Amino acid sequence: MSGFGILTAQIAIPLAGAFALMLVPNQYTKAIQWIAMLFSIASFAASLAILTRFSGGTYQMQMTEAVSWIEPLGIHYRLGIDGISLWLVVLTTFLNIIAVWFSFYVKSRVKTFFVMVMVLLAAMLGVFLSLDLILFYAFFEASLIPMAVMIWVWGGSKRNYAALKFFVYTFGASIFMLLGILTVAALHRNLTGNLTFDLVSIQKSVASGALWAQAPHLQALLFWSFAVAFMVKCPVFPFHTWLPDAHTEAPTAGSVILAGVLLKMGTYGFLRICLPLFPEATVQAALPMTVLAVIGILYGAAVAAMQPDLKRLVAYSSVAHMGFVVLGIFSLNHIGIVGGAYQQLSHGVSTGALFLLIGLLYERIHTRLFADMGGLKAKMPVFAALYLVLMLSSVGLPGLNGFIGEFMATLGAFQSGIEGAYGLNLLLPILAACGVVLAAVYLLWMFLKVFYGPVTNPLLHRLKDLKTHEVVMVGLLLIAAVWGGLYPQTFLAPMDRSLAAARLMATSAPGERPSWADSGVQIAEDGTLFGPSEGPLPEFVIESSSPSTVGVGR
Amino acid sequence: MTVPNEFSTVWWIVFLPLLGFLFQALLGKRLVETLGAKFGRPAAGAIAVAPIGLAFLLGADLTSKLAQLPEHARAAVSTLGPWMSVQGLQVPFELRVDPLSMTMVLIITGIGALIHLYAIGYMAQERDFPRFFTYLNLFVAAMLVLVLGNNLVLTFVGWEGVGVCSYLLIGFWYRDLANSKAANKAFIVNRVGDVGFALGMFWIVHLLSQNRETLAVTGERWLSYDTILAVSPRLLEMFPTALFWISILLFIGAMGKSAQFPLYVWLPDAMAGPTPVSALIHAATMVTSGVYLLNRMSPWIALSPAAMGIIAIVGAVTALVGAAIAFGQTDIKTVLAYSTVSQLGYMFIACGVGAFWAGMFHVITHAFFKALLFLGSGAVIYAMAHQQDMRHYGNLRRYLPITFATMAVGWAAIVGVPFLFSGFWSKEAVLGAAVNQTHGATGAFGLTAGQLAGWVGFAVAAMTAFYMTRMMLLTFGTSEERWRDAVPDHHAEPVHSHEADADHHDVEDVEGFFFSDAEMERASMLEVHEEHHDLDSHHTPREVPWVMWVPLVLLAVGSLGFVGSWLGGANHRLEAWLTGHAPHEAHGPVAHNLLIGISALAFVSGVGLAFWLYGKKTPVWEGMDDKKWNPLQLFARRQFGIDAILSDGTVRLGGIVGAVCFALDRYVVDGVVNGVGVLARSLGGAVRQPQTGYVRTYATLMQYGAVALVAYVVYRLMTGAPQ
Repeated sequence: MSGFGILTAQIAIPLAGAFALMLVPNQYTKAIQWIAMLFSIASFAASLAILTRFSGGTYQMQMTEAVSWIEPLGIHYRLGIDGISLWLVVLTTFLNIIAVWFSFYVKSRVKTFFVMVMVLLAAMLGVFLSLDLILFYAFFEASLIPMAVMIWVWGGSKRNYAALKFFVYTFGASIFMLLGILTVAALHRNLTGNLTFDLVSIQKSVASGALWAQAPHLQALLFWSFAVAFMVKCPVFPFHTWLPDAHTEAPTAGSVILAGVLLKMGTYGFLRICLPLFPEATVQAALPMTVLAVIGILYGAAVAAMQPDLKRLVAYSSVAHMGFVVLGIFSLNHIGIVGGAYQQLSHGVSTGALFLLIGLLYERIHTRLFADMGGLKAKMPVFAALYLVLMLSSVGLPGLNGFIGEFMATLGAFQSGIEGAYGLNLLLPILAACGVVLAAVYLLWMFLKVFYGPVTNPLLHRLKDLKTHEVVMVGLLLIAAVWGGLYPQTFLAPMDRSLAAARLMATSAPGERPSWADSGVQIAEDGTLFGPSEGPLPEFVIESSSPSTVGVGR
Repeated sequence: MTVPNEFSTVWWIVFLPLLGFLFQALLGKRLVETLGAKFGRPAAGAIAVAPIGLAFLLGADLTSKLAQLPEHARAAVSTLGPWMSVQGLQVPFELRVDPLSMTMVLIITGIGALIHLYAIGYMAQERDFPRFFTYLNLFVAAMLVLVLGNNLVLTFVGWEGVGVCSYLLIGFWYRDLANSKAANKAFIVNRVGDVGFALGMFWIVHLLSQNRETLAVTGERWLSYDTILAVSPRLLEMFPTALFWISILLFIGAMGKSAQFPLYVWLPDAMAGPTPVSALIHAATMVTSGVYLLNRMSPWIALSPAAMGIIAIVGAVTALVGAAIAFGQTDIKTVLAYSTVSQLGYMFIACGVGAFWAGMFHVITHAFFKALLFLGSGAVIYAMAHQQDMRHYGNLRRYLPITFATMAVGWAAIVGVPFLFSGFWSKEAVLGAAVNQTHGATGAFGLTAGQLAGWVGFAVAAMTAFYMTRMMLLTFGTSEERWRDAVPDHHAEPVHSHEADADHHDVEDVEGFFFSDAEMERASMLEVHEEHHDLDSHHTPREVPWVMWVPLVLLAVGSLGFVGSWLGGANHRLEAWLTGHAPHEAHGPVAHNLLIGISALAFVSGVGLAFWLYGKKTPVWEGMDDKKWNPLQLFARRQFGIDAILSDGTVRLGGIVGAVCFALDRYVVDGVVNGVGVLARSLGGAVRQPQTGYVRTYATLMQYGAVALVAYVVYRLMTGAPQ
């Protein structure tokens, strides 16, 4: 570990952007917009730089940084990145460019708006990069404030209610996490005599089994104290009702980021903290969590189908789609966890894109109600085509990104279910699979009501199609959706090892669990651990990508 | 074993239609605008046909290469790279060249090219001409992925891909919401089947990964066909439960796509799409993909007699229900749709009795004669100003001689005129295999399920002869020209888009999102009002242009008997080609000649009855007045209420469940949340400040609380002694 490095730069760039924006006088709107854009692009460039340095051959934390912060309390500024957080960082900076670009349409309090966007970006990146629990918590909470302000200041007609609900609900749930963090640190201190909030150190004592040996009865309680915070964030049924209100009232950029990134902080928390720190409790929680996930998938779809408002519909579809993430993670099967992690990225792209498209439409006609729409395809064919593809990616059409995650998550849940592993059963993945029918129902009807039929609203009659820069904006997300569907290997390969490790941290017996602290230990292709003593590490080989022709007998 | 690289060209079979799709999607509209509708549309059409034709030539080339290999070596896999590749699951991009996939490729590209050609004529007046060919080319590409993919997941890509194209094409004329609703129904019903398909795949992964030592599986390509086919000899009867469920789940997938009872309900509605679509997708290719899937998985499915029995019975029920409903239909395309349902039932009977190759045989002959019948009906509709109701037809043989002659060939093929037409041969192969099934799941009346299905099939053959003859007589027969005496009550509503125009425009348009008054004016000046006239009593039908009748003639040639006898006659070419071994002459309880006699009897009785009823003049009850209809046919016309119960019932039930969940969410789940909020507020009632309801106040309050809590815990942490 060393001092500040590239990960700090990743967080610092948007913060610097926020400061730079504050120096510009309010009336220079153009300058403000382009400075925000510049820093967004710089931030994305930084994440690409991280990407090039990243190695998929290990599950260990990479590019770690540690600087002493609040020494007497054992709180350090620790950053690191692994396969679980890598793509979330890239997704965050990528979606941020889109959100900033769209926000050129924002007309009131432009400077404050972009400052909030930049602060939010820094906070979200901090969540994904923190390795110290207190730092993690600080970023986790810090992300709330700019988001709540965005809803509160630039939101719709019920923005006060939505902002309050969003803030109080998620903040209230996080309090439990803070208590959990403190207790876990206390337990670790009891064991080692050393007060620290370092995730790696604490996980090491969990991996050996020593931490929970001293207080086995506390594990489930502490698991749920974290899980509640993450379940509200995801959101998992029945903690989802803040989401439709927040989405509906939030400005478009807020919705894109909320759906695209903020929700993932919940599922990321499960992978980063719950699985590694609470192994036995995670296994015990697999059944209840999966049940809630499946309820979310079916229930979210059923409620989505009844919504009269485009944004509310997509918000409820998020509940259903995030259900697949939770389903995959708590299948505790490698394919399922990979599917869940992949679904995070897919949902970020496709739901983010849908919110963007809805925003583009709202900018024009100032309504999101189905009753005011119909026949738009005739007026805006390019818009309709882009919407169609991204809607189909949300439906989970093979060849687009949504399929990969849902397929693997359900496949993993099916494997655990049919084996009866972790208390799961076959009914759950079967019901989850039925959820894809419902996804087709509400998304296809949404498309029908907006785009098909005759034009009835006179306002729509004069509509022009999307402007070129808007097509590019959506096109970027469309490329991501097609790429993610046709060549998911780009994203899967670097994640594979870290996700395998996260699973083994939860499901292996004490003493056999991998630990981020054991540098040099690796996971073999078949999932077994091997240490540095057993010779040099083999290269991580994924299937050869060169074209070849092999014959097979019949 | 390495097979020469010559099979790598198989990728181009997929890429060519895909490139055609990209061209149409990105440049098609511009091309038509540049050249003008008159030249631009045929040009865009020609560019759409070309890749399909080239793919056909490529497919023919690969097929001949394949045929030169020894029988046991007729399979090659060409891998492009990994698709999904993680620990425990490898799904590469890989295509399979073998007799089954190449047979399907030749049908898809061959008949596909003809239908593309026909569509240039049929859609010539269509404003959205390039969009039509965009979807059509994409469909062919997806269909080719379906049959060429070397693993179930790639097949699934094609499977859902063709589903989307079908959805887009059924709803092609989207200004009419009824079409869009039919499209939604098709996609959603298909998805129900797709869940079965997906679960079947999941179970295969489980079975193979859990028993990899027993089954000697190498690698982690659980879903690749070479893995699946390689383990099939070792499966034997080791996993009866798993095999039964895998077979049934995959069959559920096939039921959706191939419109088997009760998931057939989407197919008749799918006729809302343009007629070339009905011919290509909803008759010749996509709906047969279920038969393809069962053929592909046949070494596994055949190991579960119970599943086979279910497949045969479902096939028989589908054949029977489809034929019975066709009795009462008045729309020419709907008759053909139900006949497709019925014929698909035959193919599943064949699969259910283990004669998978006979199912493919019927796929091939059906592709020709049903595409022919659909395109013929399209020609009639084209000539009759888009009127599809046969009650306004009659005596059309006088006006549309080529259409009549070619459709008569299609009719002869589907009703099974002995020896002379292709349908007879494949139907004989299916039903012969069924009634001569030697062992299988128990059915009833001392017959096996397969034998029972076979005898039902003969009854359906008689029914088919009846309703198809009825359709031909109503359309081409008698001397009544019924469109002359009855002015149709149906007028296609032109879209009055200008009515919707607002007089004033009160939204300030700083961003330039809207057209100005002047721009709107100019646009309406430029808009070409294309000619459209309804069917009236003075209408004189005219024979269709050559681009439309040439495909009809070619398809008619393909429906003649020599095709059937060459494939399925004494040489058993198709069976040997598909199964890879010389057919063993089976001698069942029913002799071959007796079967031909029964077939002939079915044919004569059906056709005879139809001529007796419809030959001279149309019976009174077939008129426009529903009250005069005979109750049996009226009941059939209303599909025996099946669709009403299944579709409307599901929609209504779904609406109720949705409403309940919606209310639950609003008043219970969210009610609790708001209740907690209200409770917290009233608890703090002593303090006036928090009731202002501002985020700021609450936030501050919570921060104080949190800080106090944290301070306390930190204090305990610092002071508490380590144990």
